[in-house]
Amino acid sequence: MERREILDQVRRSSEHLKGIFGGDIETIISEQRYGFISGICKQVVTRPMEERLTTSDKIDRVVINRVLGIPIFLFFMWLMFKFTFTVSETPMGWVEAGQEWLGDTVGGLFPDGSKLKSLIVEGVIGGLGSVIIFVPLIFILFFCIAILEDSGYMARAAFVMDRFMYKIGLHGRSFIPMILGFGCNIAGIMACRTIEQKRDRFTTILVNPFMSCGARLPVYALLIGAFFPEKGGTVLYSIYILGIVMAIIMAKIFRKYLFPGPPSPFVMELPPYRMPTIKGVIIHMWERGVLYLKKAGTIIFAGCVLVWFLSNFPWSPGYSKDYDVLKQKAESDFASGLVTKDTMDETIINLENEQAREKMQRSYMGSLGRIIEPVVKPLGFDWKIGVGLAGGFIAKEIVVGTLGTLYAVGEADEESVPLRERIQNDTWPDGKKIFTPLTAFALMVFALLYIPCVASIAVIYRETNSWKWPLFAAGYTTALAWVVSFMVYQGGKLIGLE
Amino acid sequence: MAKKITVALAGNPNSGKTTIFNNLTGARQHVGNWPGVTVEKKEGNLKHDGYEINVVDLPGTYSLTAYSLDEVIARNFVVEERPDVVVDIVDASNLERNLYLTTQFMELGVKLVIALNMSDLAEARGQKIDTKKLSEFLGAPVVPTVGHKNKGTDELIKAIVDMADEKLNMNRVTAEYGEEIEEEIRKIEELIQRDTGLMQRYPSRWLALKLLEGDEEVAKKVTGEEI
Repeated sequence: MERREILDQVRRSSEHLKGIFGGDIETIISEQRYGFISGICKQVVTRPMEERLTTSDKIDRVVINRVLGIPIFLFFMWLMFKFTFTVSETPMGWVEAGQEWLGDTVGGLFPDGSKLKSLIVEGVIGGLGSVIIFVPLIFILFFCIAILEDSGYMARAAFVMDRFMYKIGLHGRSFIPMILGFGCNIAGIMACRTIEQKRDRFTTILVNPFMSCGARLPVYALLIGAFFPEKGGTVLYSIYILGIVMAIIMAKIFRKYLFPGPPSPFVMELPPYRMPTIKGVIIHMWERGVLYLKKAGTIIFAGCVLVWFLSNFPWSPGYSKDYDVLKQKAESDFASGLVTKDTMDETIINLENEQAREKMQRSYMGSLGRIIEPVVKPLGFDWKIGVGLAGGFIAKEIVVGTLGTLYAVGEADEESVPLRERIQNDTWPDGKKIFTPLTAFALMVFALLYIPCVASIAVIYRETNSWKWPLFAAGYTTALAWVVSFMVYQGGKLIGLE
Repeated sequence: MAKKITVALAGNPNSGKTTIFNNLTGARQHVGNWPGVTVEKKEGNLKHDGYEINVVDLPGTYSLTAYSLDEVIARNFVVEERPDVVVDIVDASNLERNLYLTTQFMELGVKLVIALNMSDLAEARGQKIDTKKLSEFLGAPVVPTVGHKNKGTDELIKAIVDMADEKLNMNRVTAEYGEEIEEEIRKIEELIQRDTGLMQRYPSRWLALKLLEGDEEVAKKVTGEEI
């Protein structure tokens, strides 16, 4: 009874003080403590005058300035993506050339039509290879992030965004896990652990997947390379910014409806600026980059083999026509002088392509694709993109790996052609191009926003200790991805961007 | 029979707490877990002048709120287990930030000893800290230490023993929160002081402040639903 009285008094006092100070009491109390401390320090510490403002303080005056802070942050981000894209072009060209050579050489070692050749050329070189191509890009991006982190700028970026987020009612500390999410959402989600109240923590966990992780980079890089070669850095930048904006919007919504309550105040440390050392930057880049390589060697490899299997089996499905007989007929037509050699060759190639496509359509993957296609068609995606996205649930890189395998299977050409060129030329049955810059952008948006990878889902389960939140995260992100991509694609078509 | 003293070692992360802990206890350490959680708990012993001193290393924290597990562990140990002395390691080169935790211990009304660590670093930067004045402001003895050079360890042990024995005459000081807030604290404290159950367990001013800050964990303790 008396204890309730205490709490009632606390409530009355809080209301009273809120009326006086117009703000959160916890903040006011902690400000008072800092005032008390600062008072003590002024009396007990003597500093030489010239040391009052360190170089770091001077830089911070500009970098974390209330007005300039966010533009400066956005500018650095833009610069980073521009740099990454421009510099990685050349080494990516080398890897691509090496892969084409490898594909042709290895392909020549096996008899045509063997399962092993198909597995190696289509599954491993086509699928896994299309993911490996982006290794230089990933390393260069991680290199840039390492420089920003080691120099102390990332802490400022967090501070600046933080203040902004606090202003719109979110907890400040959320931005550090968000920045980590750029590397990998798992790291970002786990970083939410040590800090804060449940409402702030859960909100940050749920929106963390919108921070575009390194695994999604191959998807963007493939599409940008094919459809926005001139404006690569800017397009990539816009995707990352879109992720941040969506995270902020969703966080705001969650904080209002799922986890209401005031944000909690906190003190953020700004370490002094340091000149990053080459060794340090290389080590940080390497640590993260190697994870990508390891993932490629394990889960992505397994995923590509699975995709290869699903898109090649049943190995000899019942075809709608007898291709062998038709090919023989073309040859005998040439032998009897009815057609020229060119016509015969063309007929045979067309037949082989048709057979390859039909085989894929009749494969397990084709059946799966037919189920998915109606769902993604309003976004401008065909069934191949649909199954690619479905595969991306295992790991986002597999979106690219799947497309790599599917296109390698679906084309009967002898020469290796980069996946980039293959998607540029793919058409719907009516002859219209499947991929346009608009669909490519819609696909990037979808890949950014839709279901977090299975490992992220598992971490969300572990960190929230319930199945409710990972399922919720999977559901709402995918729904949001669909809606936003739909708006991008259909909206773009309306204003004539197709 | 040796007199036993329990000491809790507190401080911000990176304040050099581990080094001081090692200086104090040497190899006489053992590692366990805090009850119910997987956070490491380190303890160590030392003997001095007929005293047996048990040192418990609290998790490094910036504050004592309910926002993080580390902070809750640290504060529950101090509130529930009532160590004889709390040693707060303060990084002299980062005085302002480190003192935030100190103010929390002052509010808890514990017997506090301040180890002003890395005082060499502060001096190298041209900072002079008046330890005598600081000691007056904080109501606690201030011992300059340099952890990695094992300087100040003996003085620190002596201050711990003196504090435990109440040989030192320190003023009790706490931060003031201004007329309006103090008025409300008084009202809440008055009610708390009528409740002997609460008074036996918690310092009334601290409890009032925490309730006013909206600390949910503390509120649960008051209503009796322990978590």
